[in-house]
Amino acid sequence: MSKLKELTCIVCPQGCRIKAIKKSGKHEIEGHGCKRGSEYALKETTNPERTLTTSIKVIDGELPLASVKTSKPIAKKKIKEVMKKIKAIKIKAPVQHGAIIIKNICNTKADLIATKKINKKRR
Amino acid sequence: MMEKDLVVIGGGPAGLAAALKAREKGLKDILIVERGDHLGGILNQCIHDGFGVEIFKQALTGPEYAHRYIEEVNEGNIECITNATVTELSKDRILKIVSPMGFLKIKAKAVVLTTGCRERTREMIKIPGTRPAGVYTAGCVQNLMNLGGRMPGKKVVILGSGDIGLIMARRLTLEGAQVLAVLELLPYSNGLKRNIVQCLEDYDIPLMLSHTVVEIKGAKRLASVKIARVDENLKPIKASERMLKCDTLLLSVGLIPENELAEKAGVEMDEKTGGPCVNEFNETSVEGIYAAGNALQVHDLADWATLEGENAGLHAAEYAIRGVRGNRKLKTAAGNGVRQLVPQYYSGKQDLLLTLRVSKPEKNKNLIIRDGDRMIKKTFHKELIPSEMIRLKMTKEEIENTGGLTADVEA
Amino acid sequence: MPEKTYDVAIIGAGVVGCSVARELSRFKLSIAVVEKESDVAEGASGANSGVIHTGFKEPKLSLKALYCSEGNRRFPEIARELDVPYKKVGTYTVGETIEDLKKLEKLKEAGEAAGAIGLRILEEKELKQREPHVKGNFALLAPEGGITDPHEYTIALAENAAQNGVIFYFNNEVKKIKRKDGLYTLDSGKTKIKAKIVVNSAGVQAGKIAELAGNRKHAVNACRGEYLVLDKKTSNLITGMIYPMPPEKTGGIGVHLTPTIGGNIIIGPTAEYINCLEDTSTTAERISELVDGARFLVPEINPKHVIHEYSGLRAKTVKAGEANKGDFIIEENPGMFIQLIGIESPGLTAAPVIADKVREIVGRHLKLEPNKKFNPKRNKRLKFSQLSDAEKEELIKKNPDYGIVVCRCEQVTKGEIIESLRNPLGVGTLKGIRIRTRAGMGRCQGSFCMPKIMEIFRELNIKELTLKGCESSICVRDLR
Repeated sequence: MSKLKELTCIVCPQGCRIKAIKKSGKHEIEGHGCKRGSEYALKETTNPERTLTTSIKVIDGELPLASVKTSKPIAKKKIKEVMKKIKAIKIKAPVQHGAIIIKNICNTKADLIATKKINKKRR
Repeated sequence: MMEKDLVVIGGGPAGLAAALKAREKGLKDILIVERGDHLGGILNQCIHDGFGVEIFKQALTGPEYAHRYIEEVNEGNIECITNATVTELSKDRILKIVSPMGFLKIKAKAVVLTTGCRERTREMIKIPGTRPAGVYTAGCVQNLMNLGGRMPGKKVVILGSGDIGLIMARRLTLEGAQVLAVLELLPYSNGLKRNIVQCLEDYDIPLMLSHTVVEIKGAKRLASVKIARVDENLKPIKASERMLKCDTLLLSVGLIPENELAEKAGVEMDEKTGGPCVNEFNETSVEGIYAAGNALQVHDLADWATLEGENAGLHAAEYAIRGVRGNRKLKTAAGNGVRQLVPQYYSGKQDLLLTLRVSKPEKNKNLIIRDGDRMIKKTFHKELIPSEMIRLKMTKEEIENTGGLTADVEA
Repeated sequence: MPEKTYDVAIIGAGVVGCSVARELSRFKLSIAVVEKESDVAEGASGANSGVIHTGFKEPKLSLKALYCSEGNRRFPEIARELDVPYKKVGTYTVGETIEDLKKLEKLKEAGEAAGAIGLRILEEKELKQREPHVKGNFALLAPEGGITDPHEYTIALAENAAQNGVIFYFNNEVKKIKRKDGLYTLDSGKTKIKAKIVVNSAGVQAGKIAELAGNRKHAVNACRGEYLVLDKKTSNLITGMIYPMPPEKTGGIGVHLTPTIGGNIIIGPTAEYINCLEDTSTTAERISELVDGARFLVPEINPKHVIHEYSGLRAKTVKAGEANKGDFIIEENPGMFIQLIGIESPGLTAAPVIADKVREIVGRHLKLEPNKKFNPKRNKRLKFSQLSDAEKEELIKKNPDYGIVVCRCEQVTKGEIIESLRNPLGVGTLKGIRIRTRAGMGRCQGSFCMPKIMEIFRELNIKELTLKGCESSICVRDLR
């Protein structure tokens, strides 16, 4: 039984159309134009990862939300769980730029980091 | 009347870079006028990453990229006023500024216009139908969500597959909206492939090429949009019309450089870029007034807008300190297949960076720079796309004996 | 359900309804205005050209002609009292050929016979001096044609009426009308408003209202007029109103250009009978027709200059294709129900005269004792962009909110927006802010200032920002 996944490579503007065929437990990559492309295709097929950028609720801040990101790409399939966790949390102002909000969020090995400084609300 | 060496109008990436470079060149009395609450410009609402890949070799989020420059500005004690809007700029560089601290009148030795751009609206593209709530430009929604913390709607149709539309498709989906489709008028998307994959494919959002919205329906709030396929002349095909029920229509249909101040100051404008005509010093046709960033031409990378700002700041400082000016002796021109070219003037006395955009996607073509019939430079490109700005470095030797430069795309 | 009783209830808060309200508030009467939408001028009163007509083009001796010419004479005084802008910009009907010139001369004669003053034929030289961007060789100039801001006017009438005691009910669409013991009951499903006398100034819905009250004689047909608004960059292209030669084949006045008080140019209106009494869509065909018509008169106009499209519905007592143009119908129905039917152009100009007629009718049934506290004056809102530098400086010192520009296209400050929310009618919608301050009327059509206005609402602890009342919320919830 072979499983076929088709994808467009995003490593360079060429955008090679790559086929990743799973045959007896191994992946064969076809259609790539370079090594980076085949590495990307393999990763996308076996363990796709994404950097998540979103916002977290801030209490008493000059803005209602602080923008956050994962310190490194996380497994794509973990995104839903991580978003759910982020949506449920509130943090208090002030928020420092680069502050670690949550270490190893949802066991992804990535930290959730604040990407924006939020001062306390001006009275 | 207050006097300043340099006033930078707009504290986004280009403006911050201009101010910093001017300070580096020794200019003392610099003022950045920013109409927002904070410095950073549009970057403050661009919470996605991909900024700084060229300059910092990292993919930072918008706020992180802005932070680097803002920190430097703070450390350099460069004066800034926020919530301040320049309402008038005269030819002799007298500025009128409305700010909560007062109504200010400032005479500047030099001015850098880094006023960014605004979005093309539903009304500008003339989509017929009713005028309900729920029809918004992508940047407006980005602001509402990322700075305002509000959700604009539940069921979304996006018109325009440029990067901002794609980024918002993902953002809305992650926040619980149902994005029904991204429609694109052209037969190809102007967005980065990375965004097509990570914003649409990841979330199974259909990309409908050669489609557009032909009618908006809904009395108080958007109820549905009528969409249609378009023909090769981009005209809607009546037989293909169908309705999509939705409560939000997001428009990502183009950016327009913001130049009301420049125009009123009598600056020569380029119809194709929507921005001022500048020389290699980023100098406009009005002495002492410089332009850079999205106000000069819409950029796809903040990194390039930043470098443009640096160039403007550098030369604005040289002018303010030593009265050094460039000239407008020689002209550049966008030829076949080239939509726009900046700078519009050059001297031939130094290296020249040409930035240009092609009119349509091309594969395996040459970009040729000529002086009349004489070919000066030829570069081969496997792929040329309108959404990717092309930067061509010409050396002084290549251009010093030219009488003008034209850029053409040829087989 | 809340129930209140009034001497007079007026259905419809358009320019006529609000004129009637103001007129009746000169007397000791309890008055209510019942409006289906969330603000005044939501119908034709807010979707017209803003022209104060002379009336000489209306059918001779019609109510339209008589009320319009009288309204035109009275407008300057009313505009002063209510601090509403008014500019006599003049009307140019432009022609190219000698045949056109002959037709213009005939129009001039007809106009003079109908009482128009100052009509002049212009030769090419003078036309070019006055209107250098207009394409044409001859023109008929009617110098008395003027413009106002129809939103501002209706708001001023309503605010003055409210200050003089009139109660406004918004978001109350009259669904049932009953009569018992000498009182009418107007039932919106939310409120029951009882009144001795009812005035039906419901515009395009007036036929429906008349029917609810038992009068089935008045069929009102909707004739839609679409408009385009041009970027202020083009405002130097015309100074007066520019009309083409009256189209012979299609009738009507043709696509024309009107400068607005706000500094834009509007193109239109078109005229199209439609079946639905609520459909204020714009259409691709008419948009195209308007652009072409505009470029015919001023070739420098470009589709790229269009920043806004809108449409309004005329209340017509006639049907499509009828030769008879139809006239105002002001009818007393025993009870007392006063029907104001078919108030289309020149309704804006005729409004004060219609209000007088209503007052006369009311006066025959109720005692009109003068309201000694009546104050005819209303002061306009401050427009920051129109202040001098010194005035701006002074104002910001007093209140720093005037130093924060919220709408950058129209230079509208935070102070003005907050002030506009303190209006005597209690209107707090985005559209309400727009028509009172101009925020959102510029080339970016609110895409920059709308999030800022939402912030202001948050600061002021106002729960919901809607475009125009219930069911038109801008956002659906908070993100977190």
